[in-house]
Amino acid sequence: MFWQNFKYNLKLILRDRSLIFWTLAFPLIMALLFNLAFSNIENSEKFEPMAIAVVENAEWQKQEIFQKAFAALSAEGEEQLFHTEYLSETGAATALENEEITAYLEFQNGQPKITARENGINTTILKTVVERIGEQSQVVQEILRKNPAQLGELVRQEAPNLKDASRPHLSYTMVEYYTLIAMTCLYAGMISMTAVNRFLANMSLSGRRVAVSPTPKRWLILSGLSASYLVQVFGLALLFTFTIFGLKVDYGENFALVLLLSLVGCLAGTAFGVFVASSIRVSENAKTGLMIALSMFGCFLAGMMGITMKYVVDTNLPLLNQLNPANLITDGLYALYYYDVCERYWSNIITLVIITLVIICISIWNLRKEQYDNL
Amino acid sequence: MKHKKNSTAKLNVLEVTHLTKNYREQKAVDDLSFAVSEGEILGLLGPNGSGKSTTINCILALLKYQQGEIRIFGEPMTPASYDLKRKIGVIFQEVAVFDELSVYDNIDFFCGLYITDAAERKAKVEKALQLVGLTKYRKYLPKQLSGGLLRRLNIACGIAHEPELIFLDEPTVAVDPQSRRRILDNIKKLRDQGATIVYTSHYMEEVEELCDRIIILDHGKIIASGTTAELKQLVKDRSVKQVVGPTLNDVFLELTGRELRD
Repeated sequence: MFWQNFKYNLKLILRDRSLIFWTLAFPLIMALLFNLAFSNIENSEKFEPMAIAVVENAEWQKQEIFQKAFAALSAEGEEQLFHTEYLSETGAATALENEEITAYLEFQNGQPKITARENGINTTILKTVVERIGEQSQVVQEILRKNPAQLGELVRQEAPNLKDASRPHLSYTMVEYYTLIAMTCLYAGMISMTAVNRFLANMSLSGRRVAVSPTPKRWLILSGLSASYLVQVFGLALLFTFTIFGLKVDYGENFALVLLLSLVGCLAGTAFGVFVASSIRVSENAKTGLMIALSMFGCFLAGMMGITMKYVVDTNLPLLNQLNPANLITDGLYALYYYDVCERYWSNIITLVIITLVIICISIWNLRKEQYDNL
Repeated sequence: MKHKKNSTAKLNVLEVTHLTKNYREQKAVDDLSFAVSEGEILGLLGPNGSGKSTTINCILALLKYQQGEIRIFGEPMTPASYDLKRKIGVIFQEVAVFDELSVYDNIDFFCGLYITDAAERKAKVEKALQLVGLTKYRKYLPKQLSGGLLRRLNIACGIAHEPELIFLDEPTVAVDPQSRRRILDNIKKLRDQGATIVYTSHYMEEVEELCDRIIILDHGKIIASGTTAELKQLVKDRSVKQVVGPTLNDVFLELTGRELRD
């Protein structure tokens, strides 16, 4: 019974051209547009290491963490934030006056002091870096011990102002690709919602015929959900193939885990569609509108239209983003990139699985013995 | 069909008792009671909005109702009465098929909701295709079929699993005389195979030809019931002016009035 329904669900989905466009082709078009729109911005705004000086006095010699941190942040390569010169106090003041450096750092009575020509973005960056190193000296020390190259990542991740202006992995485009993956996952809901609507007596004529049949709703839901999931997994595969080979997007070293998160996210999106179809009694058009609006709003909160939004929601309404599937997916991808495999990544996956199971159970319960006031 | 028509054993296949269904303040079905015995074709007649389709949807457990009891094969009918549903076939007023699936796939899909064994299902689908004369259209999509062929597909989807109780809700609306003839012949075949049928239509000559007994509904209530001959006699008896040899159409208009309905 399951396979028979699964087979026909698959046929019905694949022959719905509009559905196929919005769920399979639209994300590819979005990826192409992101690539065209943001790649130039990225090239023009690529971060250039900032010329600074450190006053190399007796106080500086006591600041072991700062010494190591600045050495790491000044090492040549993609991670380089600073060109650092180590000068005397007079030498640093002269270099600043001659505009050879943007600012210099000096320790007085154990406290860092920054002297700059003017208060611009570069000065803000230096101040942020110094503050973060001071505040998180233990974390910094741990990173320096294990992998000094990750220090730049930590600084950028903790200082949102730096995120958009520095290295390629933190570019606008990568953020957009992450949210695009989330959007594609949630768009699976469009397919599953349509699939379940076909079986509802108040949604379609064929649904009435299905509703009077002896097939329990749970089988119809599970077969519709499985077929929808399979189609959207194919959609994800298309998106990854296109972005990796066509647009040369680098998803990092843990691609298998990126895939795992995407597959779980896709399942959550599929379940979300089943939930909307089974729990909200409005017209099919209204349900479609609701699905698109909720998916896009979720992606918006997760940073699709600007990473600042994610930061603002994370800071002020953390629960909202902890329950937002789009954020759980994008956040998992960020976490994966910054920290490799970490607790946050697995926590996001577990939350997605729990949300999925809960809404599938609610959906089956809602449809179990459904009768209508009118048809 | 599993049950061959047997004139000696007339069990009540369907029993509706005091059924009442309101749409907000309006009574759509008002304290309706009737029964259909095994092998019988019952005609449900009534003007638009008289409660025919609502009654059928309540019987099928699609609609909630305020009061009454519905028993099919002696069992109460509920949304979870899966064993009962297995014995029921429905041909809805509107064509209820999937536009994306071929004729064969549509019948196979709906039949698959009742019959899980693939070989048995295949045989039943072929039989249904043959019965409604769609064998050569098996690969066509519904949009490629004429109105009459679509109606026949609609019937095939409802009866392929060979139900014992069939509801036909105006199955011949908007079809040409040839297709109508074919559909009526099919219904007779189903009856001859032992099915019990509840049939609604606005075409009086169809009802007269097919139905063993007729119930005329108006405003959700039964206003008359009996065989065609009994109903004709009823009108003859109550008519002030002498009605000579009334047709069923005359009976219907006499009982339900001649004013237009919404």
